[in-house]
Amino acid sequence: MNTAFNSILILACGALAIYLLARLFSARNELLACCTVLVFFLAGLVLFSKLNLNSKFWLEIPSSGEFMVSGEQEWPGESASRLIAGTAIALGFLVSLYSSRYLEQDQRYKTYYPLLLLTVAGLVGMVYTTDLFLLYLFIEWMSVCAYVLVAFRRQTNTATEAGFKYLIMGSVGTILFLLGLAWIFRVTGQIKMPLQAAETSAWASAGLVCILTGLGIKSAFVPLHTWLPDAHSRAPSSISALLSGIIIQSCFFVWLRVGLGLGVSKQVLGAVLIWLSIANMIVGNFMALVQIHVKRLLAFSSIAQMGYILFSFGIGLYFDFPQAILAGFLYLVIHAALKSLAFLSKGICHFYYQTTLIEDMRGIAKHLPLAALTLSLSLAGLAGLPPLIGFSGKWFILTSALSTLQPLALVGTGVFLLTNLISLGYYLPLIAQLYASQPHRNEAAPTLRISPWMAIPVIALSGLILAASIYPAPWVKWLSPIIFISEGG
Amino acid sequence: MNYETGLILSIILLPSVIALLLVMIRRIIGPYAGWIAGITAGLNLLATLALLPLLRQGIEPHIALNWLPQAGIQFILHLDWLTFPFLFTEALVTVFALIYALGYHHPDERTPFFYALLLIFGVGMAGTTLAGSVFLFYVFWELMLVASCVLILAWGEGPNNGSVALQYFLFTHLGSLLVLVALINLYDAAGSDSFVALRSGISLAPAAVTTITALFLIGFGVKMAVFPLHIWLPDAHSVAPMPVTIMLAAAMLSMGVYGILRFPMSIFSPSQIAMFALPMMVAGLVSQVYGALMAIAEQDIKRIIAYSSVSQMGYILFGLGTLTYEGIAGATLHVIYHGVVKALLFMCMGLVIRATNKRQISELGGLMNKIPLTAACCAVGVLAIAGVPMLAIFNSEWMIYSGGFHTTYPGLAVAMVLGSLLTVAYALRLFMEIFWGDYTSDGNLIPVSAAMRLPTVVLAGLTLLAGLFPSPVFAWIDQELTLILGGLW
Repeated sequence: MNTAFNSILILACGALAIYLLARLFSARNELLACCTVLVFFLAGLVLFSKLNLNSKFWLEIPSSGEFMVSGEQEWPGESASRLIAGTAIALGFLVSLYSSRYLEQDQRYKTYYPLLLLTVAGLVGMVYTTDLFLLYLFIEWMSVCAYVLVAFRRQTNTATEAGFKYLIMGSVGTILFLLGLAWIFRVTGQIKMPLQAAETSAWASAGLVCILTGLGIKSAFVPLHTWLPDAHSRAPSSISALLSGIIIQSCFFVWLRVGLGLGVSKQVLGAVLIWLSIANMIVGNFMALVQIHVKRLLAFSSIAQMGYILFSFGIGLYFDFPQAILAGFLYLVIHAALKSLAFLSKGICHFYYQTTLIEDMRGIAKHLPLAALTLSLSLAGLAGLPPLIGFSGKWFILTSALSTLQPLALVGTGVFLLTNLISLGYYLPLIAQLYASQPHRNEAAPTLRISPWMAIPVIALSGLILAASIYPAPWVKWLSPIIFISEGG
Repeated sequence: MNYETGLILSIILLPSVIALLLVMIRRIIGPYAGWIAGITAGLNLLATLALLPLLRQGIEPHIALNWLPQAGIQFILHLDWLTFPFLFTEALVTVFALIYALGYHHPDERTPFFYALLLIFGVGMAGTTLAGSVFLFYVFWELMLVASCVLILAWGEGPNNGSVALQYFLFTHLGSLLVLVALINLYDAAGSDSFVALRSGISLAPAAVTTITALFLIGFGVKMAVFPLHIWLPDAHSVAPMPVTIMLAAAMLSMGVYGILRFPMSIFSPSQIAMFALPMMVAGLVSQVYGALMAIAEQDIKRIIAYSSVSQMGYILFGLGTLTYEGIAGATLHVIYHGVVKALLFMCMGLVIRATNKRQISELGGLMNKIPLTAACCAVGVLAIAGVPMLAIFNSEWMIYSGGFHTTYPGLAVAMVLGSLLTVAYALRLFMEIFWGDYTSDGNLIPVSAAMRLPTVVLAGLTLLAGLFPSPVFAWIDQELTLILGGLW
């Protein structure tokens, strides 16, 4: 907890310092970005500074499946929090590097970087805290920054509208959370998890439902997802990368933590998650099929991919199967890398050629070969084509789901496979568009060199994905020492 | 690393590295891309042939590396007698397709990518046959699909190659997903993904065996394109550029046969899969008749040969379905012979199309005196596919029918023999309409490059040779059968 606190402190102070720097010295974009990168780096360093090098430092989930349940002082789930917080900080690092050029057209550096830092700070606090009231504060902290960042291009109506929609729906979520919290506090007199609130009284149960619904809005569970396609497609691409890559997932993680921490049984949570995941997979994949905007397509793809993550966690909880939970965490990280790569690559295309529609992307590979390549890589990864890491992630989910051999799991698996097939129907044509031989409207446009500021994060992410695809063993080992119980015998 | 493992590793690595080089340094070696790719494929064929004496000595090259030990996933390449006929067919077809491409393909700036993808397509097929573990098998299986799909998409002929490529991908991917589910079930049951572990006994409930076998048969049936799972084939084969069509029809379809032999037939005992014998034979018969009827009705000469593949895969499925020594031997023999003859026929059609610039059978005629060499090769091809004695396919058909007569349903074998009349009908019609009659067109024929004629002539020679001396090839099949049947029959 200490490391997390220090890390939040660094991020928050960094935000203040960078704001002052921008205000007082009207510093340049690149300088501010570099400072932000530095702050993220420091925060990450601090977060991991107390690594004890025994084998159980990341995802500390005992094989008994007792996942994030009561301990005296510290939650065993803390290492999972560290995984999420670490991923967020790493993404923040890449995004701020990327923004040093990407933001050139926006000119509002002095609020952007502090907001970015604060968003991640709120996120880190949110995934670590066990105090429900603190949790409420951190969620609000993160969300408020995210609302502003979504509406960052305030000169366009669509961005303002999307930010407003996100604000309204997000506020409903946090208000529900606060209401539920109040009821639970009234019944139990406590706000610190773990807390046996589930079966104490009707008020507490109602409070619990309110809290989980509120968090469900934040995590974009279907049918509470309607804000997401707008928010993720209208935000600047760098912000979309963060929103789609880690923020909804971290909200889901908090959902899970609160659900378990307030004493909901694993079976109930698991069943809810499996049904939600089916809804997410179906709605996300089918809606993505009909999109004409690239970023909206990616946003719906996030809903679908959330479905895969939920499915894996649902299987793990419902059947008490830690292997599936680990597969879920693994897929969460894989998706964070792939989806943020997709948004960052798309951002490059938008930055140089103002492409928003899928049509506009036609033949973009001629002008921006790097961005087209990395975008195709991420799309192929999201589609789960072997040997990319996205396929390995889906393989883990499938193996754990199929080995249960239960009807509910098989229904989910059927939906999983079918919607995966359907998802090819939007990933592949998009890739084909990028490499189409007849350019659409950019024919006369000159071939530009991509700024290294934007190229480096994209190349780094692609390299990471490729390395993990070709030789996943060390990465999986690093992420979890016990991902498969069979290893220990 | 010794000689034999080096050989099988080079079959995978050499073309991959060359393909990578073709793309990376295309500015330097671009003009020679075709030659480099052709030589690479030739070396691969030599390496494959060099493995033959080793197999004769009883050495089975085997490479096993840990890939993802946490999940029990290994990187295993293994060569045995079951692999060899398929690997040989693939290597042979790839060499001829690449030589043919030298004459067929008009070089432009994308040419290095074309040859690189052809090589990767070959790697996908070689890897599918050489893979010794479930995960790796699926990776190569999908690589084959991705590479061929990109080839159809980027170099397809005709206005709607985009939708054809998508249809091809989605439909065959559906089959792949069924295969994936079956593979994961086997992997779960065996606890390891190596084929050795699968073969050395996994105990599954009879219902599970039935489900898995059904999944395999449908999944591989899609790749084999037997009726009614063939709907991707006519479009894909007629749109793809000729070298790709040759590789698709002559080599890739048989990967489905390999899958059936490798998984349900090798892993389960004959009594476990006996219930699928009749459905397979009936499906084979229906496919044979349906494909031949469609070939008779079709106007486009490339599509005629494409439907002929559906019909020929019917023979093979019938042979497998007999579950007898003769039937399975005949089916495997048919894979090799069909590869040679189908490549030959497509090459002849390519020569005709290139010379006349026409594809409709009604517009062609009287070419006998204009292109006598092509006519002679085509005559060999159509007679072979019609099952005329002394030409390759007669031998394998003989074995397949004989297998049919050894089952309890000789009536089906009689129907099969009678159904082959339809094959004669479309084959002779094709030849007569193209080469017989009066030369109606007024324009002159376009001269065709020697690089396209040479492989056609050589393949025609091979067809004659294989028909006259079937025993060496038959000796391989014999070895393979002892491996599958293992004295069980």
